[in-house]
Amino acid sequence: MRGLVIGIAGASSDGITAAGESLINAFAQEGYFATLSTNPGTQIRGGDVFCRVRVSTDPVLNSGGLLDLAVVLDWENFSQLSGELSVGPETVVVYDRRSGLTASALPLGGVRPAAAVAVPVAEIAIHAGAPTQARESVVLGLLSAWLRLPQKRVLEALVSRHKAGGDPSPKTYQKAFADAVAYAKEHPLGRAIALDPAAPPEGKRRVADGNEMCARAALFSGCKFFSGYPITPASEIMQYLQREIWKYGGSCLQAEDEIAAAAAVIGASYAGTKAMTATSGPGFSLQTEVLGLASAVELPMVCVNVQRGGPSTGMPTTQEQADLFAATFSSHGDTVRPVLAPTSVADSFDVTVEAFNIAEQYQTPVVVLTDRELAQCKAVLEPIEPSQFRVVDRLEPTKAELKRYARFQITDAGISPISHPGMRGGNYLAAGLEHDEKGAPTASGEIHAQMTRKRLNKLNPLKLRKDLFLFEGDLDAHIGLVSWGNVSGIAREAVRMARAKGVKVKLLVPRLLYPVAETIYEDFFATLRRCVVVEQSHQGQLHRLLRMWTQTPREFMSVSKSGANRITPEEIVRLIQAMEQPATDRFRSHYCDLLNVI
Amino acid sequence: MSSPTLSPAPAAPGAPLTKKALTADHPTWCPGCGDFAVLAAFYRVLERLQYPQESIVTMAGIGCSSRFPYFVNTHGGHFIHGRSLPFSAAVSLGRDDLHVFVFGGDGDGFSIGGNHLVHTARKNVRLTYVIMDNSVYGLTKKQTSPTSPIGFKSKTDPTGAIDQPINPMRTLVNSGATFVARSHATQVNHMIEMMEKAARHDGFSVVEILSECVEFYEGAFDAGNPRKGGKFELVENHDPKDLEAAFRLANEAWPGRFGIFYDSPRPTKNALEKGLIAKARERTKGASDLELLQASFRKAR
Ligand SMILES: Cc1ncc(C[n+]2csc(CCOP(=O)(O)OP(=O)(O)O)c2C)c(N)n1
Ligand code: SF4
Ligand SMILES: [Mg+2]
Repeated sequence: MRGLVIGIAGASSDGITAAGESLINAFAQEGYFATLSTNPGTQIRGGDVFCRVRVSTDPVLNSGGLLDLAVVLDWENFSQLSGELSVGPETVVVYDRRSGLTASALPLGGVRPAAAVAVPVAEIAIHAGAPTQARESVVLGLLSAWLRLPQKRVLEALVSRHKAGGDPSPKTYQKAFADAVAYAKEHPLGRAIALDPAAPPEGKRRVADGNEMCARAALFSGCKFFSGYPITPASEIMQYLQREIWKYGGSCLQAEDEIAAAAAVIGASYAGTKAMTATSGPGFSLQTEVLGLASAVELPMVCVNVQRGGPSTGMPTTQEQADLFAATFSSHGDTVRPVLAPTSVADSFDVTVEAFNIAEQYQTPVVVLTDRELAQCKAVLEPIEPSQFRVVDRLEPTKAELKRYARFQITDAGISPISHPGMRGGNYLAAGLEHDEKGAPTASGEIHAQMTRKRLNKLNPLKLRKDLFLFEGDLDAHIGLVSWGNVSGIAREAVRMARAKGVKVKLLVPRLLYPVAETIYEDFFATLRRCVVVEQSHQGQLHRLLRMWTQTPREFMSVSKSGANRITPEEIVRLIQAMEQPATDRFRSHYCDLLNVI
Repeated sequence: MSSPTLSPAPAAPGAPLTKKALTADHPTWCPGCGDFAVLAAFYRVLERLQYPQESIVTMAGIGCSSRFPYFVNTHGGHFIHGRSLPFSAAVSLGRDDLHVFVFGGDGDGFSIGGNHLVHTARKNVRLTYVIMDNSVYGLTKKQTSPTSPIGFKSKTDPTGAIDQPINPMRTLVNSGATFVARSHATQVNHMIEMMEKAARHDGFSVVEILSECVEFYEGAFDAGNPRKGGKFELVENHDPKDLEAAFRLANEAWPGRFGIFYDSPRPTKNALEKGLIAKARERTKGASDLELLQASFRKAR
């Protein structure tokens, strides 16, 4: 599974993203699985300053820990990004000779890499005639020779991108590429970064990121209205739909702010249209009043919150899992709204489809909590098989029901048919004011209690949905992990690594975060003596939520890191090994920074 | 304002739309509140328009005036404070069959919802917005509103308001609305005329109605009411397409004039979106949703 992890750091003009995209596309075509994460660093102008590509013959569960190969075109950005692009004793560092540094003088914070190789990147580029534009071509030439990737594929990806960018003369970068290939052949890196050959894929694999998969899932679900306001790292969802949704007969509204966006979404839903908004922390904070209204009027809507570092403006381009409390609780009143979280780029599709289905079936707002890493990470994906998914539509009143229509009728399941403007006899008032079955305002405590019960109890069947949980490992293990979102991919890999070493351990990954499915957790906890919730927030928000709602094992810990600090599979393996040891003070306290445990 | 009672009247299919069929709950406004007259005028407007009852949507935000939809037997909603315009815009867009009316107060429209007003107007979404301006926060019992004049004593300005109020007509003309009119709740026929014209306007139409809050701002609009010694002066000799002339009217000294300040149609967002969809569908040759989705995957590399 491990495959290779390659990091490239450069200046913003170095075409880092472009290089990463060429690589992942070539890997996809060759039958490999891969992920590509990029980051613009902190500057506004220019392109990304680093990318991380992980490639393997098996599906890639996360973007990996220590690098196998670090390509450094610019040391300044590299040093700033040491948390994201970490070099270890097994890393091979390839760097541009232009820096003039000797191998022993590299700024690697005391780490001694397996090898440090100076390469004339800038020289090859300058020789080819276009210094800045050609640097990415040099890197790609070197990598495709060293990794024995078909050069044609890599070059194809490069050419088509340059064409799309309107670059008329492909000669310079083609020459840079060819010269780099020749250089790499004369200067082999050896076994250190060899890649196993991949089996040819069955169907044609595609490259997409989480935001794109989320937008596609909306279209698949029959979403015909989107409204949003630009915000990093969620804007791509709106941008994708703004391009695509019209073809489906739908429309996309760039609103004046996120409140208007959410209001428009619930308006469209009131009119009978499936609708979605997408935002990140600051916008989500603005939307909570509308989400509460949606719960009160029992209308479906999907709200995607692509989490980023917070609070406030926080760290817009970094990863964090700290909006779980906000997604769950940020609304006044006695109400519950379902919160779902995808576990991978591919799962962003599945979970968004599920969000629409739950919204429609239970007439409720649903929050999809993705995160910056899933949203903007590109991955090689298996083709989607639409027949695997069902699409649920809301319950509408029959002709007979319209004769004596009561919008909020109390039923066994708590679900009452929704009528829409245009339905004769179906008029009712969608009102945030508490109402009786017909929608008339009320100040009666009895009716309020009845309606509250209706709105809460209708969601109970969700708590039995085992298919909204992923399980991995030994059923009867005494130690176990719970993890969610993007971090769950790291935990999954760690559990596999630990089990390969003979440790008995299991992992539960909720895709349904709220309401808390008590019995599913308690079944999982039954064999456990020690359980750790691994997530990326200082407070350990899922851990606290589970303590609030479930009967947890005696030793139940939160082990977490704040956002923007990469959690690696190796760290979690060490955590699992520590969990096997007899009880220590560390495991008696409830909260712990990951690094304090291992 | 007291708490409402319920009396929904089912509509007789096929029968002409009458006040009787349109009447829902008994209004809960204070006796003498200007909003009663607006409601009465609105029934008359709907009687004249004879839209199918199920195609009418009556929306509002929060406030005394925003209770309006409870008293009209149509589809509708009572949304959150200040946000009824974006909600209603999304109801209107893509639904040529519907007639969307939005009601609200001066606080709802010019304060908390001020930005939504500007953006819904500039986008020229096809709907009719009626602002019942009483220059006070009624429902919350007498606080200063964005249209309260300087010196107005309220619970939040016990020694008199010190902030410059907004000029509603200037704000509306400036917003990009394609139909802007002004009326007075004591002039029922004028209100009917203004609201009917607004409803027939293809685009974002707005009518500002001075509607007295007898409870918390008595006499606020007497200057525009001949029966209280004021003057109800109509807009005359005015080209409603002339934007500068509209601003001049809006800048006239209190109580100003009543009538259509601005009426200058341009393509609605509804129509423009319809065009976008038609064009996109033409290019995709009517492919099914699933075919389109699969094609989008084929394009992704
Ligand atoms: C977000 C929010 N803030 C405050 C309120 C309280 N509130 C209800 S109505 C209102 C003002 C109403 O004034 P206006 O819109 O002029 O309507 P009127 O009652 O005068 O007709 C306020 C502040 C609320 N409902 N929601
Ligand atoms: S606006 Fe004033 S008069 Fe009218 S119902 Fe409200 S408080 Fe009463
Ligand atoms: Mg008011």
